[in-house]
Amino acid sequence: MLYERKTAWGFLFRLYHWSFALSILALAVTGFYIHDPWISTANEGSGSFPMADWRYCHFIAGYVFTAAVLVRLYLLVFGNREESFLGFAPVTGRNIKNVFTTLAYYLYLTDRGGHRLGHNALAGTFYLFTLLFAVLQMISGFSLLYPESGFWQTVAGKIFGVQQEIRFYHFVFMWYFMIFALVHVYIVVWNDVWSPEGLISSIFTGDKFLPKGQEGAGKRA
Amino acid sequence: MSRNVCVSCLDPRLSRRGFLKGCAMAAAALGLSDSMVPRMVEAASSPARPPVVWLHFQECTGCTESLLRASHPDIGRLILDLISLDYHETVMAAAGKQAEEVLHETVSKHAGKFICVVEGGIPTKDGGVYCKIAGRTALEILKEVAPQSAAVIAIGTCATFGGIQAAYPNPTGAVGVRDLVHDRPVVNISGCPPNPISFLGTVLHYLTFNRFPELDGLGRPLFAYGRRNHDQCERRAHFDEGRYVEQFGDSGHLKGYCLYKVGCKGPGTFANCPAVRFNDVDVWPVSAGHGCVGCTEPGFWDTMTPFYERLPGVRIPGDEGIITKAEDVGLKVLGVAAAAVGIHAAVGAGKRLVAGKKQEKADQKE
Ligand code: HEM
Ligand code: SF4
Repeated sequence: MLYERKTAWGFLFRLYHWSFALSILALAVTGFYIHDPWISTANEGSGSFPMADWRYCHFIAGYVFTAAVLVRLYLLVFGNREESFLGFAPVTGRNIKNVFTTLAYYLYLTDRGGHRLGHNALAGTFYLFTLLFAVLQMISGFSLLYPESGFWQTVAGKIFGVQQEIRFYHFVFMWYFMIFALVHVYIVVWNDVWSPEGLISSIFTGDKFLPKGQEGAGKRA
Repeated sequence: MSRNVCVSCLDPRLSRRGFLKGCAMAAAALGLSDSMVPRMVEAASSPARPPVVWLHFQECTGCTESLLRASHPDIGRLILDLISLDYHETVMAAAGKQAEEVLHETVSKHAGKFICVVEGGIPTKDGGVYCKIAGRTALEILKEVAPQSAAVIAIGTCATFGGIQAAYPNPTGAVGVRDLVHDRPVVNISGCPPNPISFLGTVLHYLTFNRFPELDGLGRPLFAYGRRNHDQCERRAHFDEGRYVEQFGDSGHLKGYCLYKVGCKGPGTFANCPAVRFNDVDVWPVSAGHGCVGCTEPGFWDTMTPFYERLPGVRIPGDEGIITKAEDVGLKVLGVAAAAVGIHAAVGAGKRLVAGKKQEKADQKE
């Protein structure tokens, strides 16, 4: 079969992806420390400042995360066909059908995947969930960071409640991101194993390989 | 009836010195400059004291106790001096029918002018039968008195947010004043008990400026509830430097390290405890080696418990009352996800193997 190189992801999208991924990694590690400080500094006057340092890293990473989320929201509207909302959200007939095709493919029920240049719609649906959680995590994070800001306290108060509840949900959402990362990486590797479209390299180069002439009709290799 | 109903046990005379000191303390708590103190003193010494009706509902009277039995009596006296406490069940001389008459008289005589202070939660379930005074429910009394007042001050976490009786599953349907009174200004002085200075400051502000101080989203005055305990705490340096009490009684505890890991809720609690402190002997829970339990926050019995754990097992909505530790759940879910991933990968590998064998056979046939 002849394969054709096609551009799926723009530069901004790839930048978003990696800032999002790396900031989540940093936030989960630093967040865990904030949750349960495991470093013991038994001596006073040792010049160490661990909690302040971990929190500092958490907040910096939090801003990177926020920037990434905002970029993604922007691309939902102004991105290319693959990046934008209608490209993968399960709101059009084409995408809803694709959710089921992909599901059958992932369950080894068919050999014809719901491949396409952009996200398949099943993945897309979960990415939208993740984006929603990301926005919630951002809101909870900023209202923890600025406890005296009326704006953040009102917004987060309406959604989560008092500071302690905000902390609690902030912590719970961390588990969503960790589970998402685990499943996401597995599925991506799995796809790369089963179909030769170059999914993993596409998030570095922006390009995928599709059978010539048929957009998104890859067959299990 | 005059204010003298109340204080036979306290020396009712407040020295000029004590009076000025009290005003200055309140001004400091309010964050006013000392140039405002004379204005405050003037307002506070005006003979026209606002009449006050003090209602007690579902509560332990701890708020009144902490207000009046301050070891440094000036604050209690000043409060009693500032206001004309016409009806207060704990300290008034009248009882029974007489007391009821006083209430009625004050409310009708000073309609639209008196301040209604509420201490205690109000049960609303089953018509409010769980708290009755003189044959009437708390709900009825509040609905009668509050609309005729100039303003309402809810004192203590019970009156502000329902308090302990509103803790899950809230068998009596207890709520705070703000849930019931919408047509009058309501100021919430939360805490279990609140600091007398916060109450005094609010009253003095009202007398001096004829309006209440600025409030937060929960109706609490910002001068007292605008900051988290964590951001004013004397142990904060230990927090930043990663020095924690691991267990009560350990060496870190003896050295006065931060109580974060043994459940201090200072990071989630808005109050002025570390700044203003209690009982005029400069204490608050953390200074005595115990974490903050978050008593000024709504629903703290549910959201801040267990008191000795960092992030408590807050009930997850929809999870029928089971108190779960998020960490436990998270680990399990992660385990399940990992298992699912493993099985999925194994099925895939198996399929490939079978397909490969078939291909081999096909090749052999050819
Ligand atoms: C995937 C994203 C994130 C994860 C996994 C995460 C994780 C965590 C965790 C586990 C905690 C400790 C909670 C506790 O035990 O009390 C925490 C605290 C905190 N996070 Fe995040 N976080 C994320 C995003 C953010 C963002 C975007 C911000 C905003 C800048 C932020 C700001 C904070 C703040 C201010 C605290 C409290 C620190 C303190 O009071 O000492 N977080 N985070
Ligand atoms: S003792 Fe409590 S309020 Fe004080 S710094 Fe530690 S966590 Fe914060």
